[in-house]
Amino acid sequence: MQKSRSDDGEDPRGGPSHRDFQPGAWLAGTGPESDIAICTRVRLARNLAGFPFAPSLDDTESERLYAFITDRLAQPGLPVRLNVLDLEPVDELERSMLVERHLISRELASSTRHTGVAYDSRESVAIMINEEDHLRIQVFSSGLQPDEAWARMESLDDTLMQRLPMAWSEEFGFLTSCPTNTGTGLRLSVMLHLPGLVWSEEIDKATNVAQKISLAVRGLYGEGSRALGDFYQVSNQITLGRDESEIQGDVMLAVGRILQWEREVREALLRGAARVKTLDRVHRALGTLERAQILTSEEALGCLSALRFGIHTQLVEGFTAGAVNQALLLSQPAHLQRYTRQTLTPEERDQRRAQMLRELLGCTP
Amino acid sequence: MQYCTACQKAIATIVVMDLSEGSVTGSQHVCAECAELLGVAPAKPPKLPSAMLEDLLGGFKPQKDSKGHSRETPQTECCPGCGMAPAVFRAKGRLGCPRCYTTFRTDLMPLLQRIHESQMHTGRLPSTMSQAPAPIDPQDLSDLRQKLEDAVRGERYEEAAELRDQLRRAELGEAAEGEESN
Repeated sequence: MQKSRSDDGEDPRGGPSHRDFQPGAWLAGTGPESDIAICTRVRLARNLAGFPFAPSLDDTESERLYAFITDRLAQPGLPVRLNVLDLEPVDELERSMLVERHLISRELASSTRHTGVAYDSRESVAIMINEEDHLRIQVFSSGLQPDEAWARMESLDDTLMQRLPMAWSEEFGFLTSCPTNTGTGLRLSVMLHLPGLVWSEEIDKATNVAQKISLAVRGLYGEGSRALGDFYQVSNQITLGRDESEIQGDVMLAVGRILQWEREVREALLRGAARVKTLDRVHRALGTLERAQILTSEEALGCLSALRFGIHTQLVEGFTAGAVNQALLLSQPAHLQRYTRQTLTPEERDQRRAQMLRELLGCTP
Repeated sequence: MQYCTACQKAIATIVVMDLSEGSVTGSQHVCAECAELLGVAPAKPPKLPSAMLEDLLGGFKPQKDSKGHSRETPQTECCPGCGMAPAVFRAKGRLGCPRCYTTFRTDLMPLLQRIHESQMHTGRLPSTMSQAPAPIDPQDLSDLRQKLEDAVRGERYEEAAELRDQLRRAELGEAAEGEESN
């Protein structure tokens, strides 16, 4: 987590500034197709030969595994400089912040084993240690950059394979604890912002396109399948029998179609009689963000989604996509509580969320 | 195990295949509930997750004899690599070590086919890298670790120290054979 404070980052009221909470580089709002594609994530599942997988790993072996991996990660020569964060002494709030930043999974955050995460200062690489697999390696890129993300991942994976004895076989590829990851161990995900498709009620048809070629479509925020704030992630499910480039091809095929569809729908929403409704929707959201005193997480995500849409379709000015992405991050419960330096009840959170968003977006209090 | 592509919550128990002129052109894995909603399956009472998994594993449910007692199926042996029991694998759908892939092969192959529509890896491997690390047999490492534990339990510390060094070298990918002659 980036904790460096900018020179002008002091809050006059003595609280922590939002500059303490800059998102990782993948939320910069830059990169190809970044009006719709927020980020690209590549994840590899890897296990070490000579150690049982998580279901059969006892505490002693788990400790030994953790020490072995962190020792190897600390050695110089990795393509990116990583800092290992031992999660054992990390409290629940801080763990939740790491989850909200996508550096660790919910499973790792709630694990009772000795776990850790190694990540770089830009938060573009994160390696989870002692998750469902011994290693879960993640690489993030802003926008739609699967080639760039994969190139960085391949280089990192090559180096890791030189220094850690990975479990693999010619027949099954990389051996993982769950058969759903066997083979490449690769999960390529693209996070998409699809307000056009949601508002025009075309989203189900779009997700069906992805599902037809065995891809998963999930909400980026919120639990289960419900997508809050019109944010979705599309990822491959098949990891065996298709190589890395084929998997990328599958995901990009669906993402390309969804992008095209979203753009067509956006154009339609800005034409003729639909335009005034769209303008109304965006400005109502902006009005809420500027004036509301109580904002639930769900409402905030909806308003920020509309604002993000308004920025990219030039319906509103004076805001950047990066600021909206930051607001999305800080609206989440753990970041909000850290931001306010208080443990808050859900009601208090909604009030502080409204206040924080006004501050962050430079709106009149 | 694969989650339903429609609701993303439940385990998929039904594969809906698109057929065109007799060949499969696409498929979708859905749970019973979504299949019903999509109108591709008759309404059925929900099954317990364990029953679903057993279905996925295909025909390896413990048989019951006339007195209602469970009768073990042919595959009853625990994994020699990690000790995982077949029942645990079937209940959790998780493998315990590299050797489980061999031990539970009969259960695993149809499962992989259902999940991935394939049973054979085609992607990159350490052996295809330009600077490939030395091949490591996970079994060698497991054996070494077992020997090491036995030596420690038996208080044969000199042997344990030697085994520990061997294990470290093996984990680094160095040839274990050379060390054994020392």
